[in-house]
Amino acid sequence: MLEVKNVSKVYGEGTAKVVALNNISLLVNEGDFIAVMGPSGSGKSTLLNIIGGLDHISSGEVILDGKRIDGLDENALVDVRRGKIAYVFQQYHLIPSLTALENVLLPLTFCGANNGSQKALAILKRVGLEKRAEHKPSQLSGGEQQRVAIARALVNDPSLILADEPTGNMDRKTGKEILALFGQLNREGRSIVMVTHDPEIAGYAGEVVVLQDGQIVDKISQKGGNKC
Amino acid sequence: MKLYQLVVKDIMRRKKRVLYASLGVVIGITTIIAVLTIALAGQTNIYGQLEKYGANLMVMPAISDIDIGLGGLSLGTLSVGENYISEDKLPEIRQIADGKIREALGIEDEGNIVTIAPKLYVNTKINGTSVIVVGIAPQEERLVKTWWKVSQGKYLEAPDEALVGAVAAELLKLNVGDAITLNVGEATITGILEETGSNEDYQIFVPLETVQKAFDKEGLVSSIDIRALCNACPTSDIASAINENMAGVRAIAVKQIAETEMGMLDKVSRFLFALAAITLAVGCFGVVNTMTTSVHERIKDIGIMKAVGASRNQVMKIFFYEAIIIGVAGGLLGYVTGTLLAYIVGPLIFGGVAISYAPQYFLPSLALATLIAVIASVYPAFRASRIKVADSFRSL
Repeated sequence: MLEVKNVSKVYGEGTAKVVALNNISLLVNEGDFIAVMGPSGSGKSTLLNIIGGLDHISSGEVILDGKRIDGLDENALVDVRRGKIAYVFQQYHLIPSLTALENVLLPLTFCGANNGSQKALAILKRVGLEKRAEHKPSQLSGGEQQRVAIARALVNDPSLILADEPTGNMDRKTGKEILALFGQLNREGRSIVMVTHDPEIAGYAGEVVVLQDGQIVDKISQKGGNKC
Repeated sequence: MKLYQLVVKDIMRRKKRVLYASLGVVIGITTIIAVLTIALAGQTNIYGQLEKYGANLMVMPAISDIDIGLGGLSLGTLSVGENYISEDKLPEIRQIADGKIREALGIEDEGNIVTIAPKLYVNTKINGTSVIVVGIAPQEERLVKTWWKVSQGKYLEAPDEALVGAVAAELLKLNVGDAITLNVGEATITGILEETGSNEDYQIFVPLETVQKAFDKEGLVSSIDIRALCNACPTSDIASAINENMAGVRAIAVKQIAETEMGMLDKVSRFLFALAAITLAVGCFGVVNTMTTSVHERIKDIGIMKAVGASRNQVMKIFFYEAIIIGVAGGLLGYVTGTLLAYIVGPLIFGGVAISYAPQYFLPSLALATLIAVIASVYPAFRASRIKVADSFRSL
């Protein structure tokens, strides 16, 4: 469903030039759970941003369902974000002035849906937070905030979820709960691309891609991944 | 949840911030409303005076004041010309005044139309205090001075009766029934006037002939008040006809004075209004500033919204909705504080003018404030819409 073809990304110019991605190719099929690993600065997050159309590429192609999405203008990219692809970030990125429910409603609001409250509540229930619907992010724990962020990602029913170190700020136990949630979503048939630097977490994935200095240095296919 | 609901919810949780942002608009609208309210009160005051005195004209001796001085030093003024008008001129004045009104209103009747009230001012001493005694034609004066009310005793009728202004009565300790000496004549006080707020309060009124005899000014008057039939009567035309056709006198219609005052008021108002407009423009920059800061502070929020599906237009809309709320809040506050300011400052500018609040300015002030806030938000909103998701997260 998604193909990254010979993509490079260069930041800055001249002596300040930084090559974040160097001629990378990656294929994400429906139902895949791919873990992207690598040390800091290896280009993991940049790759994720490029897959989701959050960042522009310097060269190459990004193809989503047979259509190129690199080089699309803002307005066209908005459609991509509203439908097929959703994000979960390490820092949750909830809007602090809105309640959990309102944060989950946000994507529906931007789509122009008027009455998403029921749907949003149902999704909050699914991530186990129906009782926290009226709480602000500051009143929630890290794990709870990440659940809200996942609920927000799910509200538009995406087929591909991009997660950037979703458990990076959590203790082991909470992290495992969150990963279990991702496992469930994967079994529903959603594709997941998750950036992580924790080999244990990577163990949940069906495929592990290892990045170093902007290049893919290893691809490991793990039959029997997603063990939760 | 609709987009505007999102903005409202967000703003309700940041009330102080919004108030701060609207401060520029508040200050601008405050000055404009204050200026307009004060100008309106001044205008109403002049119209009120016109209503009261609009039918009146005054004929005075044609005196010129000449400045006397050496080089740039002024030594005072010298009055040149007669100080009195001869009573012989009264019929001619009536003829001109009546004629003009007949002409204007198409009246055929030959009878008298205007009321002509001649008066003679003399300065004398009563009980050792200097006071102005005014000789009047009692019946005519009553018709001209429609606002006169007698507070004690009765209005004067007989030649040896006197009417005392409220303040004069108090200062000279005069009561109804007291006798006063007028040079070689004498009069008895029959009434005391209610306070009018003008210099009439300091004067003593006695029938004209009595004053003329007592002070040896037979056949002379100091000024003539004319009251036309109606406020719409051509008093200005009458005044200019008298000025053209008669020598030694000068006629002024109250309307002309009111017009001059109105012109002055207009100039002052315009000047103040220009200042208020500048204040509003400065306030507008204030809004640009706070909005830009707001955009900057919310780069991350904007990035999040874009990441979860906000389009550029929607981001702009969010800031415009916010601007509308800031504008309405600013307009509301500005209207209230402007009106309060008018109540405080108005009487200082137009001495004692009664200020009344102007509800007709309420909606326009809201509209203007909103317009200003929206215009001021165009650039910040545009900037916000250009924020790139990846950049917004990187800048953290």
